[in-house]
Amino acid sequence: MKALIKTFKQLTYKQIIFYILLLLSVVGSLVFVYNNYAFYDRPIAKVIESQTEETTNVTDQYGNEDTMTIQNITAELKNGEQKKEHIQLKNEYSITGAYDQPLETGNELFVSIDKDSVGEKQLTGSITDIKRDKYIVVTAWIFILVLLLVGKRQGLFASVSLAINLIILSYALDLNVKTGMNLLWIAAVTVILFTVISLLLVNGFNEKTYAAILATLLGTFSSLLITYIAMTLTSDTGLHYEEMQFLTRPYRLVFLAGLFIGSLGAVMDVAITMSSAIFELYEKDHHISVKALKTSALDIGKDIMGTMTNILFFAYISGSMPMLILYLKNYSPLGFTLSMNLSLELARALAGGIGIVLTIPIGLYISIFFVNRKRAKL
Amino acid sequence: MNVLLLLAIILFVLMIVIGGRKGARSFISLFLNFLVVMFAVWIMTDPHTNPIILTIIACTIISSINLFYINQVNSKTITAFIATIVTIIILIIFIYIITKKAMIQGFGEEEVDEISIFSLYLGVDFVKVGAAVIIMSTIGAITDVSISITSPMREVFRHHPNISQKDLFFSGLTIGRDILGSNTNTLFFAFIGGYMGLLLWFKDLSYSFGQIANSKVFSAEMITIFCAGIGIALIVPIAAWINAFYLVKRREKANTT
Repeated sequence: MKALIKTFKQLTYKQIIFYILLLLSVVGSLVFVYNNYAFYDRPIAKVIESQTEETTNVTDQYGNEDTMTIQNITAELKNGEQKKEHIQLKNEYSITGAYDQPLETGNELFVSIDKDSVGEKQLTGSITDIKRDKYIVVTAWIFILVLLLVGKRQGLFASVSLAINLIILSYALDLNVKTGMNLLWIAAVTVILFTVISLLLVNGFNEKTYAAILATLLGTFSSLLITYIAMTLTSDTGLHYEEMQFLTRPYRLVFLAGLFIGSLGAVMDVAITMSSAIFELYEKDHHISVKALKTSALDIGKDIMGTMTNILFFAYISGSMPMLILYLKNYSPLGFTLSMNLSLELARALAGGIGIVLTIPIGLYISIFFVNRKRAKL
Repeated sequence: MNVLLLLAIILFVLMIVIGGRKGARSFISLFLNFLVVMFAVWIMTDPHTNPIILTIIACTIISSINLFYINQVNSKTITAFIATIVTIIILIIFIYIITKKAMIQGFGEEEVDEISIFSLYLGVDFVKVGAAVIIMSTIGAITDVSISITSPMREVFRHHPNISQKDLFFSGLTIGRDILGSNTNTLFFAFIGGYMGLLLWFKDLSYSFGQIANSKVFSAEMITIFCAGIGIALIVPIAAWINAFYLVKRREKANTT
């Protein structure tokens, strides 16, 4: 307790204001997101009672067994003209839950009200979707708070840079949709913005950062070029664009733009690691030979190569797991399942890996160039 | 020739030219990890297995490949390994609760047309599979952070052999803070890059903000990014504490004998 009081006394006014603002925004946004029914046009209902009507065992043509349960739901409408009225809904769910879910008291749903039941004794309707916004906000706050708690100032910078990047991305996509500018050009400009902002924000204005920015851009652009050439040479054999969901436009362009942005974070990480290492070696010993710089930096590069490619690999591949299970349980042949669901993810992981590995020598030579320039000035 | 094969060859050659023997090992580890994921998926298709326990086992194997095969078995990698497993277990409980509450498992309405030919009643609990997906997508980053903390901490310990456990722990935290930002960034861009199509879809079909924020695919994506970030932040104190505890205990033992 004494330690707690002591830490309180050590807080500066700036910190106190920061914590109060933080607390206010947490509480404010939570109160809002739990009571924002009026902001939605779609009717929202909160489950107040759910009863299991019947359960049946089903077996599909492949022998997969499941249990279907039908629930009778009474829910209270939270917005619109029928606010506070009760509505009768039906919900059917399976154990799998791939496209359905059990409901319990307190769940909030988007519903459509049956037109002919309006004005009758009992409103009826159907469930269209689940209200998920509050869970995003809750997880986002837990993320930010954990980041602040562990990372302090760096945690704050990390969350601020993520937020800025999200805003830039959303704005860039808007620009693309509204003006029809080429997606790849827009992606290229956003990549430059992302790199400059993220690296400057975390590492400040200095030569180390400039070297990293240059290395990141060269690394990403050359990995994209190599991938593009490889794709053209093989005329996209083995890439199954049909697995790309959510397509409203030329798929190849969308895929390339995604490739561009996807490997950027990893490449940035490699570039800043390389330039920090080289500049630190130089700061410790201003007379260090270029050869010694090269050897030690290359050793560091070798160390991070494996883990960095692994990070990208898992981030891309894991998302396909539910689809793989679905295909396999429907007795699709293994080869077909893998090529249908993993070709694009594997291409992304491999292209990202190429970017990571290329950035090691690129970052090395650019940083040494900057170090030499600095040395010449002395 | 197949694009994937060509890209794999390019990557393999680059890794060997730049990384030598270690580069070759990195490439092989990618391949081994791929096999582990596929094997885990294959076992998950059996409704009698628990996808969460399976994921923990798969993560154990993956982190041993990443830590013990790419680097050697030594006190740095062993403490990094223990820290990874502890973090994974804490994280998976949290992720499972969130996945269940937010009901983000399985497929969204945007995806359902495409899979309409398939039977969706498989007996495999997709809530657990959903939690497995999130944890698997961060395992690479979590092992990376843990080794990036334990290995410089060893150097600190070597230079200051009489450092207290508390000071050692705080030096681990400082190291962790420096890599926090770049690692969350790495995952953020990877996820966003993978979902470019989805984001454009929302914009093209002019979904309202409310529709986007509540749709299953978008929520799942955002929650994945946040949970990945939570995992990366959580491993920092866990790895620092376990490593500090281990190094100081070993010193005490050496002193008494």
